[in-house]
Amino acid sequence: MSTEKLRAQLNLYAVLQNLEELVVFDEEIKDFVKDWDISIQFSVIGGPKAYIEFKDGKCLVKRGVKRFASIVMLFVSPRHLNRMFDGKAMPILLRGFTKLGFLLKEFSVITNKLSYYLKPTPELLEDSKYLELNTRFTINTAAHAARELALYDTIGRLVCANIGSGDVQLVVQPNGPAAFVSFSENGVEAHKGITPRPVAILAMKGFKAANDFLNGKVDAFTAIVKGDVEIKGLTFMLDKLSVVLDRIPQYLS
Amino acid sequence: MKNYSYSKSHHLFNRAVKVIPCGIYGHFSPAPLIPVSDYPFYAVKGKGSRFWDVDGNEFIDYMCAYGPMVLGYNHPKVEAAAAKYQKMGSCLMGPSPVMVELAEYMVELVSGMDWAFFAKNGGDVTNYAIMIARAATGRKKIVAIKGGYHGVAPWMQAPGHHGLIEEDYANIIRIQWNRFDELEKTVNEHRGQIAAFISSPYHHPTFVDNELPVEGYWQKVQSLCNREGIVLIIDDIRCGFRLDMRGSHVYFGFEPDLICFCKAIANGHPISALMGKDSLKKDAAKVFYTGSYWFQSAPMAAALATLKELHRINGPKIMLAQGKKLLDGMVKIAESHGFTLKVTGAPSLPYVRLADDETQMLHQQWCGECTKRGAYFTSHHNWFISTAHTDKDVSRTLAIVDDAFSALRKKHPRLV
Repeated sequence: MSTEKLRAQLNLYAVLQNLEELVVFDEEIKDFVKDWDISIQFSVIGGPKAYIEFKDGKCLVKRGVKRFASIVMLFVSPRHLNRMFDGKAMPILLRGFTKLGFLLKEFSVITNKLSYYLKPTPELLEDSKYLELNTRFTINTAAHAARELALYDTIGRLVCANIGSGDVQLVVQPNGPAAFVSFSENGVEAHKGITPRPVAILAMKGFKAANDFLNGKVDAFTAIVKGDVEIKGLTFMLDKLSVVLDRIPQYLS
Repeated sequence: MKNYSYSKSHHLFNRAVKVIPCGIYGHFSPAPLIPVSDYPFYAVKGKGSRFWDVDGNEFIDYMCAYGPMVLGYNHPKVEAAAAKYQKMGSCLMGPSPVMVELAEYMVELVSGMDWAFFAKNGGDVTNYAIMIARAATGRKKIVAIKGGYHGVAPWMQAPGHHGLIEEDYANIIRIQWNRFDELEKTVNEHRGQIAAFISSPYHHPTFVDNELPVEGYWQKVQSLCNREGIVLIIDDIRCGFRLDMRGSHVYFGFEPDLICFCKAIANGHPISALMGKDSLKKDAAKVFYTGSYWFQSAPMAAALATLKELHRINGPKIMLAQGKKLLDGMVKIAESHGFTLKVTGAPSLPYVRLADDETQMLHQQWCGECTKRGAYFTSHHNWFISTAHTDKDVSRTLAIVDDAFSALRKKHPRLV
């Protein structure tokens, strides 16, 4: 798979799904979208497809095609989509011409807010609310990116070829955000939340430790031995998963 | 039973991470020791089967420094031999006569081998073995076992890991252990291209049950390699001198072309050895291979003393018997608490796990409970028995095991 196509998949399937949490955990955005009833389709020729639905104050981001989406955005190539995510290109609007104003104004407000949370600076991370949301989005992005990389990145496929089966849990303790990656004979899937039957657990102690760990500010060995990160279960799966996660910067800056 | 604490270990580690990448690196990293809070990080002294950590806690050691300790820490004969050469000057302008003595002794001791070459670590000699095989055959490809460990040089590591490039493993073909049909198929698919087949005498990967060779496996492998001109390399670094003093190939009834030794060879002194058949001696001579400290005489003297002592007392027989005694006792105690302890591999380097939980979380808890009571067990790696593990050590260990199972049962009262 080409780098551009995989990057497009990561943008649509790993980054965009954070909108679901954004409308829950950012009070300003929560209030902003509470009356929205709209769906937006992203279609990439020769690439991934996904859609976003806003209804009753909730947001759902799904893979595939939604029939009769309010707005349909076409991208002529994965690169076209990626350039839009970089703020350097505009989509081709196939449906929803009357909603152009919504896209340019309202929808931009929430995508800009998501971008704000996904691009931390040391100063921003000093704010506990920002730290929490950035960590929440990072853990979700990591789990969903792991799925794409394990299936389509050359190194990811090699590393995960013998990873085995079961749910690998990533969690911020206590009571923090969580996501898990399910490996099975049928493939790899990413989910938000806690799995009832983990075969391996990577638990990070608090948002600061989690943020430092997930953003590569500390090496895993040190974090584990210092007690900032606890691992248990089939830890060879975590070892392989961490190699896969280390591939993310190759695609997403 | 008292549980240990490790405040000095943690304090040292916090100092270490400021000046050493990840504090403690490689196989000694405490990261795979789960839960890490149950384990010491720094050791200060050892005697016999025991070592003491920086906090003053005493452990019966079932990892034996991951294998090198075989006669017991600070064995008087070995230390006296090393000290004698250290005093004379261990690193001089030329090798010591003890190098010749050691090579002669090993050629006499190890079955079917005609020469010996010395280096420092296991990876030095597995790498050298591959270079010799390529030099001898003019071929590029190497067949190895999936999950087999031969060191940390790029070709030995799992694809995709940090610091590797695709070319590092382009000529490495990994096949399943114990699958002669897979080896045969691989050889047929790459006829005339395979320089060597490298494997440990039996499969002892981390995290999973160890597997002995199936009946006739090695004999068929040897025959195929001989027929196809493939150099058969045995990585006897972990098993060596813990199964048979003549080499683990004797234990399993076959004859390789090259054998790699390290770990138990010198009871903790830094030396490794590659041994080979006469037919590969000229090729070994052609491959330029050396290191600054590979000619140190003290480790060679330590190796000579270790091997002679192991031979004198029939070390492998003692370790196999003591291992069996310990493991049989542990299995019974586990049963009495309603747990199932599964043992695989040879009793002198067994892989042990609690079979009641496939995620190994229960097993990790139990190993931690034992360790913080004074029996040092890891959950991810095979253990090692030494000739210094006495009946008294076994009794003390079984008492610890019993107490640890009681603690585990309290935590999991309903687990069947």
